[in-house]
Amino acid sequence: MTQGSAPSEQPPVSTLPWGESAGGLLPGETVLATGRFDLDSSLRFSDGWIVLTTRRVIADRPASATQPLGGSGPWTWTIGPHTRLDVQLRSAVGRVELSEGDRVVARWLFTPAKADAIHTIEDAFDARVAGPDGLTEPEGGRKPSAVTDDASGETDEKPAPAGRGLGDDGGGTASWRALFRVIAFARPHAGMAILGGLLSLASTTAALVPPYLTMPLVDTVLIPRQNGKDVPFSLVWWYLGGLLAAALAAWLLSWAQTWVLGWVSERIAADLRTRTYAHMQTLSLDFFQGKRTGDLMSRVGSDTDKINVFLSVNLIEFASNVMLLVLTATVLIWLNPLLAVLTLVPFPFVVWLIYAVRERLRRGFSRAAVAWSDMTSALADTIPGIRVVKAFAQERREIDRFVSANERVLEANDRVNVIWSFTGPVVSLISEIGLLVVWACGAWLVFTGSVTVGGLTAFLAYIARFYGRVESMIRMVPATQRASASAQRIFEILDCKPTVAEAPRPVKLGRVEGRIEISGVHFRYGAREVLHGVDLIIEPGEMIGLVGTSGSGKSTLANLVCRFYDPSSGSIRVDGVDLRDVDIADYHRNLGCVLQEPFLFFGTIADNIAYGQPDAPRNKIVEAARAAGAHDFILSQPLAYDSRVGERGGGLSGGERQRLSIARALLVDPRILVLDEATSSVDAETEAIIQAAIDRLVTGRTTIAIAHRLSTLRRANRLVVLDAGRIVEVGTHEDLLAADGMYARLYHAQMKAAEEAAASA
Amino acid sequence: MNASDSTMISVASPEGWRIERHDHGRLDLVDAIGTRHPDVDVLRAFPVTAAAGPVAIIAADGGELAWIESLADQPAELRGLLERELAQREFLPVIERIEAVSDSEPSEWMVITDRGRHRFKVAHADDIARPPDGGVFITDTFGMRYLIPRELALDATSRRLLDKLS
Repeated sequence: MTQGSAPSEQPPVSTLPWGESAGGLLPGETVLATGRFDLDSSLRFSDGWIVLTTRRVIADRPASATQPLGGSGPWTWTIGPHTRLDVQLRSAVGRVELSEGDRVVARWLFTPAKADAIHTIEDAFDARVAGPDGLTEPEGGRKPSAVTDDASGETDEKPAPAGRGLGDDGGGTASWRALFRVIAFARPHAGMAILGGLLSLASTTAALVPPYLTMPLVDTVLIPRQNGKDVPFSLVWWYLGGLLAAALAAWLLSWAQTWVLGWVSERIAADLRTRTYAHMQTLSLDFFQGKRTGDLMSRVGSDTDKINVFLSVNLIEFASNVMLLVLTATVLIWLNPLLAVLTLVPFPFVVWLIYAVRERLRRGFSRAAVAWSDMTSALADTIPGIRVVKAFAQERREIDRFVSANERVLEANDRVNVIWSFTGPVVSLISEIGLLVVWACGAWLVFTGSVTVGGLTAFLAYIARFYGRVESMIRMVPATQRASASAQRIFEILDCKPTVAEAPRPVKLGRVEGRIEISGVHFRYGAREVLHGVDLIIEPGEMIGLVGTSGSGKSTLANLVCRFYDPSSGSIRVDGVDLRDVDIADYHRNLGCVLQEPFLFFGTIADNIAYGQPDAPRNKIVEAARAAGAHDFILSQPLAYDSRVGERGGGLSGGERQRLSIARALLVDPRILVLDEATSSVDAETEAIIQAAIDRLVTGRTTIAIAHRLSTLRRANRLVVLDAGRIVEVGTHEDLLAADGMYARLYHAQMKAAEEAAASA
Repeated sequence: MNASDSTMISVASPEGWRIERHDHGRLDLVDAIGTRHPDVDVLRAFPVTAAAGPVAIIAADGGELAWIESLADQPAELRGLLERELAQREFLPVIERIEAVSDSEPSEWMVITDRGRHRFKVAHADDIARPPDGGVFITDTFGMRYLIPRELALDATSRRLLDKLS
């Protein structure tokens, strides 16, 4: 082992990162791997190189070294027969240790960002040592690659149940009713809503003042002056002042009005979202089984937003338009009844036109909303299933699926645009013609002297306003229809009743003993009867193993005990109380569930374990993790219990996820435990670890365990064999083997399969 | 590099095991029955939510060797040794200034920390966490964490850049 600074010999070729200053390579020496470290001895960021050659390690200043280092580096360490290079990365700081026998001679520190390159050095070193003479170049020695982001593997497979979306039908009156129901959500904010309405009225009135002031300005100031009368210019200032004040008032009022109504509508939309989501949470499992995630997401998200826009922008406009129309019409009639009647002539046409397109627009928007939901569903289906998509190389097909969903959105919107692009300009044309008629009539009236020029000017200014309002009201029609289509989609959810309904006067069970009596239970999914009269009594603390082929009704029975569904007939009693009479949430606090596909929420490991009891103290979380056999692997995570897991944060194996879900069940200390194929998705070795955790879990608890692999039910007090929705055998493992019935057949078939697998291995 | 690296330190715990610090900072744990576990690791079980909470000592292969509910209850010598070790292992640079944050995703950050200038990537807005007891924790794409102890103590530009993403 030699070391020193910058040997003086200078071979012609140098592939070292330092160039000539490192002194280059020795004759016959080649570079095996190069990597960077990025921390110095005081843990400050400071980049340096480590180079492994066939003979030496050449590197910048290490964090620590056994012998003092002189000069400015790089330094070299010759590799001898007992030289070792170890890399360790367990925390945020990794270390590379070069040792001679048992003694560390130098150590470099690095952050996880450099881990990839550092590991290539380690690999190259090991491959070099493993070589036949210890000095050969390793085969396929990788170059230190650019550090890439770690692509995490595990994702949560959240199967989005396929099925039709919520139906969309209902006529025009239903759509208006839906909008009126939305208004009911304004009740908590009635004060602000009324204030907004008053402000609308005030700002509308203020906007009507200016034309009224122009009339005397023309008739008593400008025209007399033109005709040679002596009118002081100060009068002009008066009228201009009045006009400015009116404009300022209108501006201030409409500002306040927009703000107040925006405030109210944001709250209504937020309430709608909360109400819809909270209501969805109370619905029973079968609601979710028929729905696509994307459709529900779009209802809670985008549909409420459309209503918000309608309320904050369009409803204000609508209200102020109606008021303006009424006020303007009043002023017009007061100014000149004949002209006013002429002005109003085109109005019935406009009303008829709106009526004609309204329904078609609503249908169009409702189609557009459904198309939008389909598009969201395409996203919500494929993102959780992205591994399947990639594994089967179906990216192109998924893109096509999305494109066609998107095209349907486009098509639906196009259809609306076709109707709309025709209607808008027609209304403009009608109002232009109306204006021409008034001009003609007005000119004739001025000629005959029955109307002054100022009067006509003011009149025309009012008419312009009048038609402007009519047009803007027409523009609102699509927005109204869009909002009413959205409102209907939201109320479809709000109107769904949970099929597992809370009893009128629910019984609070508190902490149960765990005696379960199942008597005469039938259960139907739609028209298909899955359970045909099941009777079973499970004693407190007893472990029951449910056995049977797929489709025999095992999971259904477990779901009924969990009260995810109610039996079609017959009853399930816990501690003598019918489950239909109990307080569901209160009962569920007695229940622990470990399912085949453990679901982890986005959050830390500690959060996931404490899901059933968020205020659990840390020592209880650790205790549960220990009992579930999860403690050690949790400590090996980068932030131990505070490491983030969930949809994409993953990185945990199936067995590790399962142990977290067992810890979650253990923490709530349930009286009744349901294990639905808890070990079937993991390998045999992991199963042994999980089985030990489950054994601790079931002790002293009423347990219903479903397992395809019969060996996992060895601790069960009794095995219940189901076949086609009926109990066919009950007894211990030995009893049932002796009876030589269905269980014996299943058991022998599995044993035989296991033996064959062992023989062929 | 310094003198302490070449001298062995041994500290006993009231529970019967003792911990030895060897050259270059390597730790061994000798348990109550005298078995030596080389190259152990010290870590906090809740580094974010309860930094003062339980500490675990784990073997090189990941198995738990010792559990300390609270460092504050330990003898001063042991507590000092473990806290020094934790400080090194829980390398947590403190961001003093944010110089630039790219608009891309993952966003690229240029910062000045108490450990010098550094550049890293943040995958997602969720990686910028604000625990209830104050401070901002940023986790980069490699799982490295950075701390901003007091958001308000940052200069205006840094605060604006931080707000842009979180």
